[in-house]
Amino acid sequence: MTCPVNGPRAISEFAYGGEIRPMPDPTTCSDDAWADYVFNRNGSPGVKREWWCHTPSNTWFVAERDTARDVIVRTYLYAGDS
Amino acid sequence: MSAIAFENVSRTPRAGVKGPGAAAWIAALDLPVPRAPNSWLPLPGGLIARLGLTEFLVEGSEAAKLAAPLSPGVYPVLRQDTALVLHGARLNELLLETCSVDFRALNLSTRPVVLTSMAGVGVTVIPGEGGGMPCCRIWCDSTYGEWFVETLTGVAGELEQPGHPCNQGVTA
Repeated sequence: MTCPVNGPRAISEFAYGGEIRPMPDPTTCSDDAWADYVFNRNGSPGVKREWWCHTPSNTWFVAERDTARDVIVRTYLYAGDS
Repeated sequence: MSAIAFENVSRTPRAGVKGPGAAAWIAALDLPVPRAPNSWLPLPGGLIARLGLTEFLVEGSEAAKLAAPLSPGVYPVLRQDTALVLHGARLNELLLETCSVDFRALNLSTRPVVLTSMAGVGVTVIPGEGGGMPCCRIWCDSTYGEWFVETLTGVAGELEQPGHPCNQGVTA
């Protein structure tokens, strides 16, 4: 896998952080929507946006991974608000 | 004589900061700022390394400058590392056996800093060359230090065994 900061590294240097899923507003969403966000995960194969961490440098980044083929399409740093 | 020399330099003064304001704060202290992520610059009696995008490590007497009051967006990083200097003709073989980065492929003129995993321990490495032989500085979390040094010295000892695959066809 290629870390956007540290370059290509063995997969053993990385930790999976889960699929990126938008969190619904807990103050306005329904109980069903909140329960779906908390308890359910999408297991269907396809290209997923996932959090990964390069553990020696603690660099968190986004990886687009095709879970049907187990191929990493691309990796990049998260550009959202922080 | 051992093919790889180990020197423990953990007692060398060092300090670290990180954060979005760290680069500007370092520059205001009259310290040079490495422009590229994962690169380093020499200082009088030490060095400054940029770890990733916004973290800095200063080692040597200049580390005392980082005791200055911090600006907004600058955060202290505790540096109680185990720090080693390794040097010797068989060093690259030791590195190849213990981590997945091929240090021979790096361009030393760019002063690279490598953050990787060595023998399962997260490390920061600055590769170099001295006296025509490879050398490197390695920092790791000091809680792993004793085990890490034992492991590296054990592997270095195995490299010197006559029956080791690395020694096939090698004459002293």
